[in-house]
Amino acid sequence: MQKLRQSGTLIGFVLIIAFFSFQLPDTFLTARNLLNISQQLSMLAVVAATMTIVMVMNDFDLSVGSMASLSGIVAASLFVNEYSIWAGIGAALLVGLVGGLFNGILVSVVGILPFVATLGTLTVYSGAAFLLSGGKTIFGRDIPKSFSDFSRGGIEVGSIKIPMLTITAGFVIFVCWYILEQTNFGRRLYAIGGNREASYLAGIKVVKLRMLAFALTGLGAAVAGLMYASRVASANPTQGAGLMLDAIAAVFLGMTMSKQSEPRVIFTLIGVLVLGVLDNGMTQMRVDSYVREILVGLIVIAAVAVSSISKANR
Amino acid sequence: MKTLIKSVAISLLISSSAAFAETVAVITPYLAQPGTQAAIEGFEAAASDKGWDVNVIDTAGDIAAAISRIEDSITQNVDAIVINVDPAQVSAGLQSAKDAGIPVVGLDAGADPLLVANVTSNGYAMAAETSVYIANRIEGSGKVVMFVFDAFPPVQIRGVIADAVFGNFPDIEVLDRVTPDVSDGGIADSRAKMEAILAANPEPGSIGAVWAAWDQPALGALQAIEGAGRENEGIVITGIDANPQARDAIAQGGNFEASIAQDFAAMGAAAAEVVAGTFANKEQRASVIYVPTKMVTANNAK
Repeated sequence: MQKLRQSGTLIGFVLIIAFFSFQLPDTFLTARNLLNISQQLSMLAVVAATMTIVMVMNDFDLSVGSMASLSGIVAASLFVNEYSIWAGIGAALLVGLVGGLFNGILVSVVGILPFVATLGTLTVYSGAAFLLSGGKTIFGRDIPKSFSDFSRGGIEVGSIKIPMLTITAGFVIFVCWYILEQTNFGRRLYAIGGNREASYLAGIKVVKLRMLAFALTGLGAAVAGLMYASRVASANPTQGAGLMLDAIAAVFLGMTMSKQSEPRVIFTLIGVLVLGVLDNGMTQMRVDSYVREILVGLIVIAAVAVSSISKANR
Repeated sequence: MKTLIKSVAISLLISSSAAFAETVAVITPYLAQPGTQAAIEGFEAAASDKGWDVNVIDTAGDIAAAISRIEDSITQNVDAIVINVDPAQVSAGLQSAKDAGIPVVGLDAGADPLLVANVTSNGYAMAAETSVYIANRIEGSGKVVMFVFDAFPPVQIRGVIADAVFGNFPDIEVLDRVTPDVSDGGIADSRAKMEAILAANPEPGSIGAVWAAWDQPALGALQAIEGAGRENEGIVITGIDANPQARDAIAQGGNFEASIAQDFAAMGAAAAEVVAGTFANKEQRASVIYVPTKMVTANNAK
């Protein structure tokens, strides 16, 4: 039963891939399409991987979407005022880090429930993005070409070109994996997730670690916001909004695959892939876009349901 | 999970039958907008006459997803793509389409060298008509509240023209330039904003007119004015788009006096003609094609 619970989502993922490969023999399992998918998913992958860091502690961060929007707006606003690309990127990342740290302080020092605290900051960051941009989309000549070219570029490996967005996402995922799985910091976060009280009594600096974890999630959201802004060559105060729910869904999907039902970066990545492959495959199969949304939601529910039913039967 | 996939498979097999017909992907983040819906329905009607196989994809506000869906359509090797989204924001996808030799036509999208052409209404002209209507109705003097939305380029240009028209009348003062929150459709928040403005300007006659860059804020402003019992002060409201709700309000002969009807269905049909032209290898010279609009007042609202 434990095995079924753990492997149900993975089997589902393999079935989805098999199904699309069968239905779309000429276009689905091609290097080009797979690279497309990896590029399309890159922003979600970054948000989901860094979201995993707080979800390990049973916390979560609802503000990542508006933080992604805000970071794009911050960078673009600096570009408008003729600051360099690096100044724009640096400022956006700093805003992400500080915003995340602020979430951490609210949750960890002040002691507000993450749902409430980050719901509040969701609105604050979104409002800040609107304020800074005057509600406008910053686009066209205001966005330096080299900034938007980043998302169009890639590294040629033989006959294929690996997109820069994919490489960026891969790097972020690796860093998150390394932090969570290979460092004491990560192990302590898992301990906090297991039992916060016990961790505290065992001498783990719970308050500080939670703050840091939220700061990293904020930083990740800012990275994703910059990737998004580069991809659409513009910054709009609402453009990151869709990332939050998908990221949480991906982590939940991933959690169904791990032994203790705790979030793991690699499983989160599979969750992200499930969502992205469904989107790509169903578009190619010309499934109505609203039906697609319903199906994606149902699949998330189905995966988590299979997992919790088999857990209850254990 | 398995049965789910099986049922999806069956529904897909049924839907993916039409072979050999030209396939056209229509991609938009804005299908919830009535105008977009009408334009796409116009396109679909024209396309079905031509026997094309049309796939409409809505990314529900997500621009990056629109790029992704353009890429997917290229992979799927469609014959043409129609977009209803600012081309500058999806140029990554447009470039890939160009590289793959797939023509992309803009449907009320915006001009861009990567498009065969963009089919739209003349936003400058529409805003000029309604703002001049207001200026004339209040005889060139009074305070005007503007509802704008500069984040969306086709609406932003309307605001620019209204700014210029009102600015050209020395006795017209723009009291406030409001950007409503449109996440609820735009009516409710516009109403709330207008209520606040009415409260701040309690003197009868202190507000001469409300110019809205599209209908929803005009309807919200109308509700606020009626709710405050100030419908007899002669506040003139205009919108743009002439959606059914706006036509109803205009027909009642109240404060909401005028709007401009864009012919979205004709826009869709014109876009289908441009697509047909690319299939026939016709040269497309004009990069923007304007479809005529019409002013709607109490006389012709029904």
